[in-house]
Amino acid sequence: MKRLIVTLAALTAILLIPAAVMAQGYATKPADAVIIPLGVAGTDYSKLEPGVRGGTVYVGTISNPKKWNAVTAHETSTTQYTNIMQPGLVNLNPITAGYDPELAKSWEVSADNKVITFHLRQGLKWSDGTPFTADDVVFSFMDLYLNTDIETDTRDVLQLPDGNFPVVAKVDDYTVTVTCSVAFRPLLNSMTANIMPKHKLAQYVAKLNPAVAADAFNQVWGLDTDPKELVGMGAFMVESYTADLNVVMKRNPYYYHYDSKGTQLPYLDKYVVLTVASQDVMLLKYQNGEIDCFAPRPQDIPILKPEEKTKNLTVLVKGDQPGFGTTWVVLNWDTQNQKYRDLFRTLKFRQGVAHLFDKETMIRNLFNGLAVPQWSPVSYLSPFYSGRETYAGPVTEKNAVVFEYSIDTAKALFDEIGLKDVNNDGYREFADGTALEITLATNAGNTTREGACLIIADDAKKAGLKITTNFIDFNVLVNQLMGQEDYKAIYLGLTGGTEPHSGANVYMSTGGLHAWHYSAATGDITDVEKRVDELMNLAAAEFDLDKVFEYYKEYQTILSEDLGFLYTINQAFIYSYYNRIGNAQVASPIATPSGNNGLTMDLIYKKS
Amino acid sequence: MLTFIVRRTLYMIPLLVVVSLISFMLIEIMPGDYLTKLKTNPFVTQKTIAEMAKRYGLDKPPLTRYWFWFQGIITRGDFGMSFESRRPVFATLFESGRLMWTFIVSLTTMFISWAVAIPLGIYSATHKYKASDHTLTFFGFLGLSFPSFFFALVLLWLLVGVFNVGQHGLGVGGLFDNRFIDTPWSLAKFGNLLWHLWPAWLVIGTIGMAGLLRYMRASVLDTLSLQYVQTARAKGLSEKVVIYKHVVRNAINPLVSLLGLSLPNLVAGSLIAATILNLPTVERAFFTSLTAQDDYVIMGALLFFSLFLLVGNLVADILLAWVDPRIRYN
Repeated sequence: MKRLIVTLAALTAILLIPAAVMAQGYATKPADAVIIPLGVAGTDYSKLEPGVRGGTVYVGTISNPKKWNAVTAHETSTTQYTNIMQPGLVNLNPITAGYDPELAKSWEVSADNKVITFHLRQGLKWSDGTPFTADDVVFSFMDLYLNTDIETDTRDVLQLPDGNFPVVAKVDDYTVTVTCSVAFRPLLNSMTANIMPKHKLAQYVAKLNPAVAADAFNQVWGLDTDPKELVGMGAFMVESYTADLNVVMKRNPYYYHYDSKGTQLPYLDKYVVLTVASQDVMLLKYQNGEIDCFAPRPQDIPILKPEEKTKNLTVLVKGDQPGFGTTWVVLNWDTQNQKYRDLFRTLKFRQGVAHLFDKETMIRNLFNGLAVPQWSPVSYLSPFYSGRETYAGPVTEKNAVVFEYSIDTAKALFDEIGLKDVNNDGYREFADGTALEITLATNAGNTTREGACLIIADDAKKAGLKITTNFIDFNVLVNQLMGQEDYKAIYLGLTGGTEPHSGANVYMSTGGLHAWHYSAATGDITDVEKRVDELMNLAAAEFDLDKVFEYYKEYQTILSEDLGFLYTINQAFIYSYYNRIGNAQVASPIATPSGNNGLTMDLIYKKS
Repeated sequence: MLTFIVRRTLYMIPLLVVVSLISFMLIEIMPGDYLTKLKTNPFVTQKTIAEMAKRYGLDKPPLTRYWFWFQGIITRGDFGMSFESRRPVFATLFESGRLMWTFIVSLTTMFISWAVAIPLGIYSATHKYKASDHTLTFFGFLGLSFPSFFFALVLLWLLVGVFNVGQHGLGVGGLFDNRFIDTPWSLAKFGNLLWHLWPAWLVIGTIGMAGLLRYMRASVLDTLSLQYVQTARAKGLSEKVVIYKHVVRNAINPLVSLLGLSLPNLVAGSLIAATILNLPTVERAFFTSLTAQDDYVIMGALLFFSLFLLVGNLVADILLAWVDPRIRYN
């Protein structure tokens, strides 16, 4: 009997010791933890539900990541991983697109609007157990983003209108101040920038460690790095990477999000991203059950919809959540030929062309009905979108500037400005009789854009306007768009965000992407462009969001009426998932912290 | 013979230099460069792009950049860095065992397609103009004319949509099923690898098979018409001995040099089939660098493929001399 008790005790000790050694994570939930009120009535998350821990989910993606360095990342194939590993001070709410406190639990703006004080969450740890403090925040901004040795896209969005940069300073271990030379409200948008671990990365920054080369940080945390070296505050960290095959992400034991029941997030032990180069094969793998959830193309929906019952999956179509970004036709106001220059600068001509856009046919033919017409430079999802009537209010489209599809109206407008078919060849000529032909270029291989151009050319013919399509290499197209080669018209699109000021480079008269009228920067500025510049600056300096909304409302109205870009359509958000995945209905184009193809990964769980 | 090999090896060096120069000029002719796509990002200013151009050396004239790259190879063995991932060129091309997988896929495919095509070619020749000959030729050309991406897609669709392999826990595409990701090697894992490789053998193998089959058939027919075959038969040897000991041994000569010429296909094989079937090959890394205009990775890959081409040609010549005593180089 004695022997039995001793053996049992020894066995218990042997079993418990490894458990004690392996135990990672917080001993108790941190006081400043983020509580996600899943399933709680009256909150943004009421439609979701608390889940259970455990399991692995498989998702798909098209390209390999290029590196693990969030600061130097340039494209989404990389940021889909780095934005999960290293969140910022604030984050976008996946349901409302508003700003949620993330690593900062609260912030105040000073009376003169020039200083923002962030109060960081206390008691949090990096994924390797090191405490998170204000030093990491100051390091990220002052030694990384604002350090000219470092190659990063973020420096541009941090720049203030007067050319200066904000100064981020430590007040104490959990308080930082961001001081600007001018009041700049959109800076809050830039506070989603990834916060990086000083204790791991300071040694690679030449400014702090003169022993390394100036370029050293730009090469650190490349794909050859041992994943154990990667440290972050996010829900998941990279566990392994196999080129062209998969990336395995594993749970961060020190993640500071909890659900309303007190369960630490994320629910999943791991999620695996399968790299599948062909979207057709991704659909096949999804149907085969190897991928649990993914973003299908519009042409995949008729294949998946009938399988909803047989395979127990859901197809989600959110017409009220088209993606960020704009798609448009641009007429070159600076084209070489004077006649075309004058024509494109005539508002009535641009209006006539806008009336030629048969958006319903484009939606039906190119997107299987899964798209919405677009009219504004600001993304639909933005709380400043003036299809709403108030900041973050519901979309009513009362203020929409709409050019109805009407060949007759287009004809009347072209007649008015003197474009007539003199030689009876079916096409209008200039008033002096010279031939009028507009080449509409887009990138070859993008079938939806090619299709849209063909539809536009077809409708133009009905109104007697000769538009010839030209599908060319993407790089040639970009050279033309940047004003390095002449062009008449281009069909293209740009990404966007929730903050309209992030379009400054495009819509302000001196912007590097002010594609329809680069000469505005050298004095040839119109009244509309002057007012747009004014409104951008007013909205950037104002902190009362209702006032800001009014500024952006006027901004969107005059830009849409001026038709610098003639907007077309925007694809609705589509997603599909097997019903064995819980909370997958949170899928949206806002997904953050940059979930995979639209999922907020820390809320997903596996149903038994 | 040794002097021949040494001379040929030395010739490779100026040849590779010329290849690199021509490749570089072709890349320069392509419109735009690595930074062109970034210009359409509305959040990035022209100033930042200009800084990046300076950092990557893209603001310098093409010949200067070529000279710096060339110097790097000669003096430091440095083939340059990838713009996208900021790693050395060959680390990018060969990451995660890509080179090993490329060889495994292409060697097994080549072995199987040769092992099938040669006997079928012999059979076809010895049963000339019979129904079986016509049938083999027909299927050979069918395999040749089917576009590989279509064949691969249809094959995967058959497996998923018709045979429903997912129900049996089997995946399609890639190298392993989900449950074997990051697990150690085992018999089950090896078996799973074979399951994922056989579509590649079928799709990629059938492309080369038709040509090989017809080559072998023609070669055997040529040899069968020679006088010594008649003599062998007159001597009373069995047909089997005549064919396999005398005819095939001579008929296989031209195919042996073909083997050497197939060496480049080991590394630069079927890109489209590999993309559809999700196989991690070197050529896929090359294609990614082409679309991104990652100049030095493209140069590195082109040099690598050219090296295999040149070595393949040399191997073909050596094999020919080895197999055929009538051929001697000096």
